[in-house]
Amino acid sequence: MNVPQRRSPAATEKAREEDRALLRRYHEDGDTTAREELIERHLPLVRSLARRYAGRGEALEDIEQVGAIGLIKAIDRFELEREVSLATYATPNVVGEIKRHFRDKGWAIRVPRALQELNASMSGAIERLTGRLGRSPSIAEIAEELKTTPEEVLEAMEVGSAYSTVSLSTGPGGDEELDPLETIGGEDEEFERSEHRAALEPALDRLPDREREILRMRFEEGLPQTQIAQRVGLSQMHVSRLIRKSLSIMREELLRMPPGAA
Amino acid sequence: MTIAHERIDLEAPLSGDFQAVVRLIIGGIAERVDFAFEEIDDLQLAVERLLAEAGQVGSVHLSFEVGDSSIRTRVGPLSESAVAEALRDGEGPPGVLTLPRILQTVVDSFGVEDIGGGAIVVRLEKVKAFS
Repeated sequence: MNVPQRRSPAATEKAREEDRALLRRYHEDGDTTAREELIERHLPLVRSLARRYAGRGEALEDIEQVGAIGLIKAIDRFELEREVSLATYATPNVVGEIKRHFRDKGWAIRVPRALQELNASMSGAIERLTGRLGRSPSIAEIAEELKTTPEEVLEAMEVGSAYSTVSLSTGPGGDEELDPLETIGGEDEEFERSEHRAALEPALDRLPDREREILRMRFEEGLPQTQIAQRVGLSQMHVSRLIRKSLSIMREELLRMPPGAA
Repeated sequence: MTIAHERIDLEAPLSGDFQAVVRLIIGGIAERVDFAFEEIDDLQLAVERLLAEAGQVGSVHLSFEVGDSSIRTRVGPLSESAVAEALRDGEGPPGVLTLPRILQTVVDSFGVEDIGGGAIVVRLEKVKAFS
């Protein structure tokens, strides 16, 4: 297991200076390779924080992905005049992103614990089976792998989907965004807007880069989820959730737009 | 597994609260045909996108014709004329993500039936890849 080692004060100071140099290169020169390096350097911190939230019915890799979003936001928002280290600044961002994720996830709908755990273990089972079989596994195969019934697998799949539905109330920009459900107009207004409802393109711009890229791979390149998952380094279930969530967000964005804007 | 061509009919409220139920039923039906996880997900997404266009009021009829290695789904009546036009217009220019493009990606074929009164029924067919 990769356990972060406690550094000496000198090593800590050196790492801090290296971070500052990278942050300067990114913020002042627009050097995106410096940003990538910063992300890489601080992923162990994300993993360490994510582990605190493991065992709550969500795959650890999914929590790490969410935490990584918090890290990226911290890097992007960091102001060079700050006296704090990036690690200190990033920690509340990462934890906040993870907490928001769990809050949005709405486990409060009281999904049985066994089902939450099954959902959490499904992601790994699907990856293993896809690797072993060279194709997406059937429900029966997933059930056999997890020593459960196909019906329970289907229910557990729905537990994962329930998250996407609930979390649609949070836009890609986080808390500061309006709840799309608050912006849906009455029937007449909706009718007027229906002319451009089927063309989803304008709302694509509102999605984060990663989600846009996933949609492009899926609907332009026609790649299956398994290949997209490999390319972006996420689980297949996570890719599936992101596609659903992105399409729903885009549709809500279109409902917000004034007629003719699309 | 050999299955006679069975048909399952469902009348579902359009309210978002019941979309999870529809997904679960699609999953259960597709599992009987031994669809892969990804294929079930595709069919669920196709139906989900269509229902999203149908609004939140009233109900919709769904029928599933289950074959040896395919599922034919009918969704309707849907009264959104914009959806009907979008589906008839083809996939649209490259780089534009439209409803037809989504459906073309996730199901093997789809079509629109005009049933009069400004209403349509959408037909979707999903075939198992490794049959």
